[in-house]
Amino acid sequence: MRKILTLLRPRFLSFKNRGISRNLKGRKLRFFLFSAIGLAFWGGTFSIFYRVLTYFQGLEEFGDILAYKLLSMALITFFFLLMFSGILTSLSKLYLSRDLSLIHSMPVSREKVFLSRWIESTMDSSWMVLIYSLPFFLPYGIVYKAGAFYYAILGANLLSFCLIASSLSALIVMVAAVFLPAGRIRSVFIFLGLLLFLLLLISFRLMRPERFVHPESFMTVMLYLRNLESSHSPLLPTTWFFDSLRAGLSGGIGKALFHSALSWSCAITMIFVATWVSGVFYFKGLSKAQTLAGRFFAPFGFKKNGYDFLLNFLSSPVRAFATKEIKTFFRDQTQWPQIFLVVALIVIYLYNFSVLPVEKGPMKTEYLQNLLSFLNMGLAAFVLSAVSARFVFPAVSLEGDAFWIVKSSPVSIRTFLWVKFFIYFLPLLFLTELLIVVTNILLHVTPFMMIISVVTIFLMVPGIVSMGIGLGAIYPDFQSENPAQSVTSLGGLIFMTLCIGFIASVIVLEAGPVYHVFMTGIRGGSLTGIQWLWLVGSFSLVVALCLMAAVIPIRLGEQRISQYELGGYNIG
Amino acid sequence: MIELRNLTKRFGDIVAVHRLNLSVSEGEIFGFIGPNGAGKTTTLRMMGGVIAPTEGSVTIDGINMADDPENAKKRIGFIPDRPFLYEKLTGMEFLRFTADLYGVEEELFDERSEKILRQFSLYHWADELIESYSHGMKQRLIISSAILHDPKVIVVDEPMVGLDPAGIRMVKDLFRSLAKRGTTIFMSTHTLTVAEDVCGRMGVIHKGSLIATGTIEELRQGAQVQEGDLEEVFLILTEGESVP
Repeated sequence: MRKILTLLRPRFLSFKNRGISRNLKGRKLRFFLFSAIGLAFWGGTFSIFYRVLTYFQGLEEFGDILAYKLLSMALITFFFLLMFSGILTSLSKLYLSRDLSLIHSMPVSREKVFLSRWIESTMDSSWMVLIYSLPFFLPYGIVYKAGAFYYAILGANLLSFCLIASSLSALIVMVAAVFLPAGRIRSVFIFLGLLLFLLLLISFRLMRPERFVHPESFMTVMLYLRNLESSHSPLLPTTWFFDSLRAGLSGGIGKALFHSALSWSCAITMIFVATWVSGVFYFKGLSKAQTLAGRFFAPFGFKKNGYDFLLNFLSSPVRAFATKEIKTFFRDQTQWPQIFLVVALIVIYLYNFSVLPVEKGPMKTEYLQNLLSFLNMGLAAFVLSAVSARFVFPAVSLEGDAFWIVKSSPVSIRTFLWVKFFIYFLPLLFLTELLIVVTNILLHVTPFMMIISVVTIFLMVPGIVSMGIGLGAIYPDFQSENPAQSVTSLGGLIFMTLCIGFIASVIVLEAGPVYHVFMTGIRGGSLTGIQWLWLVGSFSLVVALCLMAAVIPIRLGEQRISQYELGGYNIG
Repeated sequence: MIELRNLTKRFGDIVAVHRLNLSVSEGEIFGFIGPNGAGKTTTLRMMGGVIAPTEGSVTIDGINMADDPENAKKRIGFIPDRPFLYEKLTGMEFLRFTADLYGVEEELFDERSEKILRQFSLYHWADELIESYSHGMKQRLIISSAILHDPKVIVVDEPMVGLDPAGIRMVKDLFRSLAKRGTTIFMSTHTLTVAEDVCGRMGVIHKGSLIATGTIEELRQGAQVQEGDLEEVFLILTEGESVP
């Protein structure tokens, strides 16, 4: 145990020493900003669930069933979140961390190394899910007027729940690391990405949420209720947690303790099994991760030109950066699951529109279809911002330690940033236009609304991509082990805030004139002089705003990154 | 070929390089030595255009780095102390990337890249991703990419770190032959024997200031030492501070 604690000490000391490091002011600001946002989100979630549960309580018989259904669904979601987070964290802690060579060169058994890493992984993967599960569980205790026992049993079950998820994740990772044919451990990410994509699609299809808009599609009310009440397997940790909480809420101490004991016995067994498996598999997997393995796609032989000729129309320095950018992006297997996720998002997004019960709405169908289409522009732009936050904002930071090459090369920073811009602009423009056009077709909107949507998105995409590149250059993080995480930095936060402000401004500017044009079309009249003036003025402002958003951030980014002191205090 | 005028770099209150004045002629191999933290790497980074000086100027082949950085950089082959590269490119792709950046013609690239890769024993690794290269191989690749465009000036920080004895010999021979053809080499090194062996002239930097320049003989005279190697001279000049 002492050795495990010693292995954990650097982590605690690093945490303690954060105050000594440079850039403390920036960190404090970031801490307060994120704390405030986190607290607001926590409070918001709490109040929503409190209101929902209070509402359910008002429904006789039916209310409890809904409340418990919600609880069981939430437990399954939390478990999957914990598992997924656990898999990613344990993969990083057990196989990818930079300090692994040092740790494994020390005279400590593999099981102890595993246990110390697993404890770290459990803490890292669980703390956020734990904190954000509380605004969901606490309202149950308040609404059902549960005693202290409920909160005690909740705490005990949450802990065992996290331990089960984390040890199961570690087990999956250790076994996958040995048996994955590609050898290179990062390949696991691809496997995980695909798995998540399938899970998302299957679970979404199985839920068939659109049915709940049409309760009449169920044969009888009883069938509807039975569908909601369907129970889960008694062998699942989520079922033990659910049964324990349900008993805790109704004061059934014995039953609650029994299910809690089931959960804890499973957690302890899982930890033992994982530790035993680590003795057998961990080192094998680790050795495999350290050695060079075959690639999924071997690069072209150097005597061939590959697909580089497609970029031959560019000047040679621009082509150099563009080729490098495309190749490094697609060869970085950690990017792939994110791409799968984006694809999953798009499929779900489009699917949602295809099943929207527009004709059952309280408003006139044509009006509602076009209103939804207009609002969809904002939504699609928001999806674009989220995708840009993940891919575009970290693009400059992704240069990492190799940024000296850019700084010492005979190419201006402006060219470098614009190359980055175009690399991301073209696919993202295609993606967003695809979203808009397909959803508009699904909604059967008017040609006017189709043109407005396509043109507005065409104007907004350069602004959002430019803000991503520009702010990524203003707030670069070349030292990060995972530059993709820079989206959670202060710069990432500013980027998202600016994007939301930009999208809202464009939507607000267009809303009035578009409404008048649309209504005039429906009523068959023509626009008045003032309405024309408003239309031209608003659209001119939109064009000006989009132009500013496309040019200014990259200019500012260029200024900032040109002054960036590479290497900082390393005087040499 | 290289002119440093009042070159100064401050990081907050720390003066890393203080009013450095230096000229290096065409075809000269200039060694830049000094204790840890003396300001060697900072000076080289300013020369490579990687960081901007607080005061003073860097002129390469008559071109001021601050006024026309792109043209000045075209004349330089910059080799940093740590071989950070794009790990997801192959060795050959990295060379092509560099060639495109520096405007090397396609036909010339094919001929030169093969020759250089063979010279640096990287030819059979040319299609492997850089992430699979050892430290020494990455260092060889950086040197290869730095000479690919036939620069007039090579600015190199610790060229021998990570190289095996054969690699060290090869780099020394390469520098000598390049210098013979008129390339100017500005080299910072920890290995005083290498500096003594290769460099015609040396500069000693200490606490950010250039405290001595000249041939080994001139440095000996400056340190008032009759006999003895560069290490002894270095220790006297830098008041016995540890050799980096």
